[in-house]
Amino acid sequence: MSSSSHPREVPAVPGPGPAPGIGRRRLLRYGAAGASALLATGPLTGCSSRASASDASALNVWDLFQGGDGMLMDDMIRAVSKGSDGFEVDRTILDWGPSYYTKLAMSAAGGRASDVAVLHLSRLAGYAPGGLLDPFDLDLLAEFGVTEKHFTPAVWARTKHDGVVYAIPLDVHPFIVFYNRDAADRAGLLDPQGELAAMGSPKAMLEAGKALAEVTGKSGILFGHVTDTAQNWRQFAALYAQTGAAFTLPDGGPAEIDTDAAIQVVSFMQQLFDGRTNPNNLDYNSALAGFLGGRGGMAMLGEWELPTLRKSGIPLGAAPFPQVFGKPAVYTDSHSYVLPHQASPDPARRREAHRYVAEILKQSLTWASAGHIPAYQPVLAEPAYAKLDPQSSYADAGEVAVLDPPNWFAGAASNFQNRMCQPLQSALLGNTSAEKAVRQMVREANTLLRQPNPVA
Amino acid sequence: MTTTTPIGAPAPTGEPPVAVSPRRGTGRRGPGPLFVLPFAVPFALFLVWPVLQGIWMSFTDSSLALRATSFVGLDNYAEAFGDPDVWSSLGNTVFFTAASSVPLVLIALAMALLVHSGLAGQWAWRLSFFVPYLLPVTVVTLIWTWLYQPDVGLGNELLGALGLEPVGWLSDESVAMWSVAALTVWWTVGFNFLLYLAALQSLPTVFDEAAALDGAGAWRRLWSVTLPQLRRTTVLVAMLQILASLKVFDQIYILTKGGPNGSTRPILEYVYDVGFTGYRLGYASAVSYVFFALVIVVSLAQLRLFRQED
Repeated sequence: MSSSSHPREVPAVPGPGPAPGIGRRRLLRYGAAGASALLATGPLTGCSSRASASDASALNVWDLFQGGDGMLMDDMIRAVSKGSDGFEVDRTILDWGPSYYTKLAMSAAGGRASDVAVLHLSRLAGYAPGGLLDPFDLDLLAEFGVTEKHFTPAVWARTKHDGVVYAIPLDVHPFIVFYNRDAADRAGLLDPQGELAAMGSPKAMLEAGKALAEVTGKSGILFGHVTDTAQNWRQFAALYAQTGAAFTLPDGGPAEIDTDAAIQVVSFMQQLFDGRTNPNNLDYNSALAGFLGGRGGMAMLGEWELPTLRKSGIPLGAAPFPQVFGKPAVYTDSHSYVLPHQASPDPARRREAHRYVAEILKQSLTWASAGHIPAYQPVLAEPAYAKLDPQSSYADAGEVAVLDPPNWFAGAASNFQNRMCQPLQSALLGNTSAEKAVRQMVREANTLLRQPNPVA
Repeated sequence: MTTTTPIGAPAPTGEPPVAVSPRRGTGRRGPGPLFVLPFAVPFALFLVWPVLQGIWMSFTDSSLALRATSFVGLDNYAEAFGDPDVWSSLGNTVFFTAASSVPLVLIALAMALLVHSGLAGQWAWRLSFFVPYLLPVTVVTLIWTWLYQPDVGLGNELLGALGLEPVGWLSDESVAMWSVAALTVWWTVGFNFLLYLAALQSLPTVFDEAAALDGAGAWRRLWSVTLPQLRRTTVLVAMLQILASLKVFDQIYILTKGGPNGSTRPILEYVYDVGFTGYRLGYASAVSYVFFALVIVVSLAQLRLFRQED
């Protein structure tokens, strides 16, 4: 039981909030060093590779992979730890979300961060410009067999800041749809090959929802968004990109958003989740539970739910997020490896860090079994990947990837996503109109853009 | 069980008795300061110093990123006073404080009176009223997240059984803060209950007995004898409660992340959002000192009230 869990442990102290406790940079440095020392030896060290946590020469790696993902990462680390040139890895797993990114930033600000860390590519714009990351040495990486040509241009373009590469993508993880093959079949939504047929128009999608609702007797398409800080935004961003309009956040503002297209998208979402054929008030877990319980024919989720869904035994199909507007686009993010800033990096360790990233990428077939699409293209070409079902059916999603508009405050687990989700949630719940929701989104984006940039 | 030694002492005020020790000589200093050190050093290091550091930071554009920090004067405060999010989250904090403190005092009093009245199974009542307070915030929030589920939650299930429409416990802007308050009452009322129970059990019984002999009924004795004697405890409980409620953060952060539409975001979450996920430590410090000023004002007002009560 943590001491902060009780509201009245220190009754008379009017807490000035967490911020003042941080102190200046020097304090940060010691604090971060202390924190990482604690974490490194603490119960969070989940890896069971050869290296022991106390081994000072082991490569320090921070990541945010828990559950099934975490176990697969263990397997991959075990694989690269074998043999005479195997790594000694000291892995630290931290909880996903704002806290992970806070800790990563603080450790890098202290200059004594881990050797390698995982970062969502959408967060790069908040890390690279502020000096929180060190650039990759591409020559060194090429020496270990990984070069630019191994990645899709859409993803590679996002790894750079000022023309310098700061991140090496491990995967792309799109927002996709899972469907119950039986229900989709009875609703007449499958193509002759038995896969989900393309939608092609908003009308077709709405009708598909109705047809699925009739088949299941409950709901058509399940989508959990209540009290979620990302789901609504993921869906909006995908559909909005499908209209071909751009969403950019230039420093200093104002945000460049095609409001007509945005209103069209939000209105469509309102129609899709009207509360009758599709419940509009689910949270993430109840949508997942509803799909697992057969109360819906389709669910809009991240591909990382694949292991959970497959275990359920329902006849599972997966497809890229349906294209209903003019242009194919799928909301995506990417787990990437970065080198958090170190004040005085040891060249030998840096070299090992590069080699580690290259070797882990070559293990991505294991990673793909969790549902992620490997970013390292040679793996996609392997016959073993083509055999992975249903992963291979949405492998193309990486080519039409839409990430958050790059700015320091945007990206996975950011304030920006949370603030965009709030008006969208109101619109989906029927508490506000699409116009008002979009106006509020623009207002929120402009508020964030007006703030002085803390990383520039 | 209910009759304890009638010492006539008022409710505990939380202040340790002051021991007056005889001094040996005026010129020599005893080892007193040494005994204070184990408390004074951490206090200075972890409270006084960060508070001063925070004040300094609030005048800079200090950031979590590796960027040079510069002095910006009162810019952060000017921004804070013009920031609608500061005012709305401050309003949320005050609303939560009002919505939680009143039931937390009244329900605790009612529970203590019930238990004190000599119900059978004393220990069971005391245990069930106090046990939620022992749970960590994560567990409490997890339980209530399920109760508040729109689809399969017990809350809407019960409403449905009564033929009522489901409620968006956490998704309706006008309901969400009340849901948080209900959780908080359930979770923390046990502490106030204990304070009240302790006070009740230490009240002298003579007045009550005398009133009964004079023919006063139970209600008359409650209003005219028991409650006036509990006044100091009520002041203490209310004061502690208001200060605790003003600090609300964790259950809201886990339950709603401040949503829907910022309707449950307290000022401390806003500080966290701009300072940690937004890196702007300088601005976050300024906002937290604005809040600090509010807490000081509330404390001073309460102190005045307390004095008048005496």
